[in-house]
Amino acid sequence: RPALRAVIKVALLNHEPTGKPITLEGVFVGGSAGYAEGKLMQYHPLSLCNTSEDERQENDFITIVKLEHRVPRCLPLLDKARMALDKGAQAVIFDVSDDANAAAELRDTDSLPRPVVLVEAEHAEELMGLVNKNEEAKVRIDILVEPPRWPHYDV
Amino acid sequence: IQDRQGPAALLCPSPCQCEEDGIFVMVDCSELGLSAVPTNLSPLTTYLDLSMNNISEIQPRAFHRLHLLSELRISGNQLRYISGHALQGLHNLKVLMLQNNQLERLPDDAPWDLPNLLSLRLDANLLSEVPAGAFRGVRSLRHLWLDDNSLTEIPVTALDSLPSLQAMTLALNQITHIPDYAFTNLSALVVLHLHNNQIQSMGARCFEGLYSLETLDLNYNDLQEFPVAIRTLSKLQELGFHNNNIKAIPERAFVGNPQLQTIHFYENPIQFVGKSAFQFLPKLHTLSLNGATQIQEFPDLKGTTSLEILTLTRAGLSALPVDLCEQLPRLRVLELSYNQIEDLPSFYHCSALQEIGLQHNQIRRIESSTFRQLTSLRALDLSWNMIEWIHLDAFASLHSLIKLDLTENRLISVPVAGLGGLTHLKLRGNTELYEAFSPDYFPRMRVIEMPYAYQCCVYGSCDSYKPVSQWDTEQSTDEDLHKRTVAMYPIHADTHYDPDLEEFQLEIEESKLQTSVQCTPTPGPFRPCDSLLGSW
Amino acid sequence: SGVSSGCQQGGCLTCSDYNGCLSCKPRFFMHLERIGMKQIGVCMTSCPPGFYGTRSPERNTCTKCRSECDSCFNKNFCTRCRAGFYLHLGKCQENCPEGLVRSDTQRECVPRCPV
Repeated sequence: RPALRAVIKVALLNHEPTGKPITLEGVFVGGSAGYAEGKLMQYHPLSLCNTSEDERQENDFITIVKLEHRVPRCLPLLDKARMALDKGAQAVIFDVSDDANAAAELRDTDSLPRPVVLVEAEHAEELMGLVNKNEEAKVRIDILVEPPRWPHYDV
Repeated sequence: IQDRQGPAALLCPSPCQCEEDGIFVMVDCSELGLSAVPTNLSPLTTYLDLSMNNISEIQPRAFHRLHLLSELRISGNQLRYISGHALQGLHNLKVLMLQNNQLERLPDDAPWDLPNLLSLRLDANLLSEVPAGAFRGVRSLRHLWLDDNSLTEIPVTALDSLPSLQAMTLALNQITHIPDYAFTNLSALVVLHLHNNQIQSMGARCFEGLYSLETLDLNYNDLQEFPVAIRTLSKLQELGFHNNNIKAIPERAFVGNPQLQTIHFYENPIQFVGKSAFQFLPKLHTLSLNGATQIQEFPDLKGTTSLEILTLTRAGLSALPVDLCEQLPRLRVLELSYNQIEDLPSFYHCSALQEIGLQHNQIRRIESSTFRQLTSLRALDLSWNMIEWIHLDAFASLHSLIKLDLTENRLISVPVAGLGGLTHLKLRGNTELYEAFSPDYFPRMRVIEMPYAYQCCVYGSCDSYKPVSQWDTEQSTDEDLHKRTVAMYPIHADTHYDPDLEEFQLEIEESKLQTSVQCTPTPGPFRPCDSLLGSW
Repeated sequence: SGVSSGCQQGGCLTCSDYNGCLSCKPRFFMHLERIGMKQIGVCMTSCPPGFYGTRSPERNTCTKCRSECDSCFNKNFCTRCRAGFYLHLGKCQENCPEGLVRSDTQRECVPRCPV
């Protein structure tokens, strides 16, 4: 089943509305394709573990985690995603630029209640660049629909 | 602490940073590469941080004028030994942090004289023993950290000098045995951490005298027997002995601990559990037992009425007591997978149940009374059983049910009454189940697994990818999009989706939102929806 | 205390630009510090106020004390209460048990002063 692609619209909150928001793309994980919006909030790869008590955020937020292959996983990525969603995240974005196994680990999953998106390369760099400068941003995630790869046939 | 101008600046030893606290001074000299304690410290200093420097020794009388010092931090240096004279004059000291140094021994005949000390951190050093007289000068001590050292024994005699001690950690050492009367003078001790040692044995009276103990942590040791010495701990609330080598939990194991709220003992090769082991624990809310293969009978939980989570998996249970729910009225999670259970009682009185796990058992029938009135039940896992028949009303009252797993059973039909709220339904492996369930039965479905691909066609899986134009081209009214969005994603109903988007910087984009029900196995070129030769 | 900023910290073993410290030197505590929308790893010899340290062979971590607690020994044992709460045997309460009175300076339940 082809993974659905995500369109990610990013608007900076502390800047005057200067027109077009930043538009990026990612890939939805398993059956989690859907719509979400919220403030971008970074979580360290060592957070979202059974032992780590990640504080609850008040308003709607979207979790972003830059995964690092050097950091041993305290939990499988699917459990980390679920934990983030359980803690109130409207969606989860994993930057997998530096963690080649992440995408494979999340491929066959179906029971995620809200969107989980993988981003990499220039899309990830744009997002993490905002985080690094602590630029408060509102993010909207939606489904990017593409024409099917195999034509509709008539038996 | 910032570098402040004014009186504090006059008394501030360079290159430290100081801050006034009324007439007093708080001095931060951390991470400055210092190799000795600054000499010109003000007598009005109440807080002094020397952590993360290169101090290898404390010169005599370094603090002799600091009678008002309340907190002294010298962690993260290279100190090997601190004599009693080095800390002279600190009459008012309450907190002393010496962790992350290389302390090899403590003074014995001329110990530190700190009459008001409350907290002493000696963790992460190289102490292999604590001399008998080490704590004679700190009798008011309440909190003691000795974890992550090289102790091979409990410092019994030294601890006798600490009648006010309330919390202590001896974790991450090499202690192998706890002798009788090891803590006999610690009547005020509330917390005792002994995890990550090599404790193999304990005296039957080793915890005598610990009348106030509430938390005992024996995790990650090498205990061969159940710690019967806990019998004297009448105030115990939290007990941990997971990751040990204990094979049996005896009858009436916790008879002396009526206040117990949590017991963690996973990762033990427990084979036998006394039937009365967990009786009369009115405050216990979680009990989990995994892999105790010798358990043939369900434990008698008389008097353990607050249990909310019960996990008893991979044992030898073949039946459940009829009065299970009368004993456990507050049960929220019941996990009994990997047993040999055949018949189910009625869970009628377990009205708080939210999750039931009965997968990998030998259940054949589900009666109308089995799950009746479980209005809070959200997840029911009956996969990998032998269920042939389910009463028409079996799920009728399960108004909160969102996940139902019936994978790998022998069903020929499934009653849908009561299943309108499902988001996840799994029926794979029921090879005699041919019915194609109409989507109308499951308006909130997100993930559904069917025995055959053609049963997914009712979910439009064949033409879910309509050739549509790119993301921005087609227009449709906001109202139309809002209606479809709310219908498709109930979260919008919770977040008060506001169609008036002016104050928001993103312009609304028309998007072809497609059905997101994920039905498997997915029909495809070789498993068409228009069945030619009957079912595949 | 015991903290420097960014990757040059004394206790940091491995580090990344976006996540700060990824692992600490032996015996240091890893604290996940929240600064606005960022969360970075910081290595320290003692956890910041409001957090307690837990040592284990694999990793030492900082965990938040209960909300009514300014500093604590572990999750269930407080060593100093927040203003408005009073310490007794590791618990922060708004009132003191029989025979003890509230001391606002020490934020503790203390014996009644003899008349």
